[in-house]
Amino acid sequence: MTKDAILVKNLKKHFKGHLSIGRIEALKGVNLEVKEGGIYGFIGPNGAGKTTTLKIITGLIFPDEGEVQIFGKPHTDYIIRKDIGFLPESPYFYDYLTGEELVKFFGSLFGIQKKELNERTKYLLDLVGLKGKEKIPLRKYSKGMLQRVGLAQALINDAKLLILDEPMSGLDPIGRREIRDLILKLKEEGKTIFFSSHILADAEMICDEVAIIVKGKIVQKGRLEELLAKDVQFYDISFKGIETPPELKDKVVVAFEGYSMIRLKDEDEVDKALATLINKGGKIMSLMPHKTSLEEIFLSSIEEKKNE
Amino acid sequence: MSRFKLSCMQVIAIAKNTYKEAIRSKIFYVLMAFAIAMLGFAVILSFLTIGSQKRVILDLGLAGISFFSVMTSIFVGIGLIYLEIEKKTIYNVLSKPLPRASFIVGRYFGLMAVLGINLIAMLIILSIALLFFKGFTPMIFYAGLFIYLELAVITAIAIFFSSIASPVLSAICTLAFYLIGHTSSTFPEMLVPLLHNDIQKKIALFFFHILPDLSILNVSNLITYNIPIAPGFTIRGIIYAVLFSTLLIFAGCLFFKKRDLV
Ligand SMILES: Nc1ncnc2c1ncn2[C@@H]1O[C@H](COP(=O)(O)OP(=O)(O)OP(=O)(O)O)[C@@H](O)[C@H]1O
Ligand SMILES: [Mg+2]
Repeated sequence: MTKDAILVKNLKKHFKGHLSIGRIEALKGVNLEVKEGGIYGFIGPNGAGKTTTLKIITGLIFPDEGEVQIFGKPHTDYIIRKDIGFLPESPYFYDYLTGEELVKFFGSLFGIQKKELNERTKYLLDLVGLKGKEKIPLRKYSKGMLQRVGLAQALINDAKLLILDEPMSGLDPIGRREIRDLILKLKEEGKTIFFSSHILADAEMICDEVAIIVKGKIVQKGRLEELLAKDVQFYDISFKGIETPPELKDKVVVAFEGYSMIRLKDEDEVDKALATLINKGGKIMSLMPHKTSLEEIFLSSIEEKKNE
Repeated sequence: MSRFKLSCMQVIAIAKNTYKEAIRSKIFYVLMAFAIAMLGFAVILSFLTIGSQKRVILDLGLAGISFFSVMTSIFVGIGLIYLEIEKKTIYNVLSKPLPRASFIVGRYFGLMAVLGINLIAMLIILSIALLFFKGFTPMIFYAGLFIYLELAVITAIAIFFSSIASPVLSAICTLAFYLIGHTSSTFPEMLVPLLHNDIQKKIALFFFHILPDLSILNVSNLITYNIPIAPGFTIRGIIYAVLFSTLLIFAGCLFFKKRDLV
């Protein structure tokens, strides 16, 4: 049996409200199984409890209830964090250090020896696109540069498991793409990547598996392709040259200057409709299968939760 | 690598980083400038006094060094843990494989290194001033050792409060501690006669004994007035300071261990 890289069981956590008044239930029994290898997306709207979960996993805060295992071992022993590379949410770093000093500092906390540390620091700063910026103090870094140096320090110990809180935040489209590529590269190297995000497009592009958290509860989880296939898809056919045949009239979505588009729910219908249209002398312009996007799943999950 | 060796490396790394932080911050230079100004002031004042010029410089010089070192210790010390949480820089450190105690101990040693170097620099400046007025005595370095021991205790107090309270509260508590520490040795003489029965006196004396007593670490007077130093004085001071600081840091670690870093 392969061990899960991260196993989270029934995690509960509350915070005191402002001025210690009231009680915020940040996590209401979260369960997660992150298998070794692959990219796992932890998706949820603002305030859903993503950062709280990650902070518990990395030992920064303590849960009220529940347990966490990293590669089969309880996370309460600090030494297991040797296997974790962590990027905190909007990284706050010592701004009096230079990029290079920062990465080296974190490397030395893993007990990496000097020579290896120098080489690895250089390699990583290069990898995240900070070549030539190593000697600048972080107080002069832009947000995107900070995010990059954050990634570099998360990779310093060559960990089997990477936990990244919003790795793409603060980056421009090119930067996001670079980070996506980097994450894919890390996956190829056999690492497990667990990252939180509310940018669904990013997640949809690279994740093997996702969990959606809303208001402290997991509302959906599973392999991305299964989640995307689960909901009913529809097909749009557009054509021109003929009037819409009467049997398809109720399927019309738009009709405009001789063009028409009809929407059909299942494949059999599509075959029939295409045959009819061609028989009648229509010209098929396009056939578009419409897949449910992660965004739609996400939005409907939130909607369901609201109605609860 | 054994856990112990890893911990040592981590403590050293954190101490070094604390050192860098201090020498790259402004407050450090401001306090240092004050200390030097104080020495200058001592020299000027010495011209105006009728008595021994040398003694005024020595006296005021040591007092100034002690005062500004203590201020550095308190005002840097109270932020040592708290500001890391406030600025959220601590998240990334404590998500690494290190026990939280290593963090506190590393921060402590880092500040002690800063204070040590700071102290040596000021003592050298004082020596130069004294040499100039032909009043140099190597005893100022002995006094320096005791100032350092006192700083060890004060820094431990500051870091203890810093790990459980806000900077303002920590500053107040640490200053109170410092003042009590300097006057507590006079409490029994002053206060006990005011009590009427023996049991009250015994209880009061017990409490006075557990108060911090920093007069144990005060040698400046002995040096200015050339009073011979009793054998065992040095050892007693070292043991007192080390035990006291260890205890406080240990307590700080205990409080910090289970704390949510939010
Ligand atoms: N220190 C705290 N004190 C009080 N409430 C908190 C604290 N930290 C988080 N919360 C609350 O817990 C809930 C979850 O917050 P969390 O930071 O985990 O959300 P998130 O999913 O990471 O959101 P985002 O996408 O905005 O980063 C929120 O309602 C938040 O207000
Ligand atoms: Mg968050």
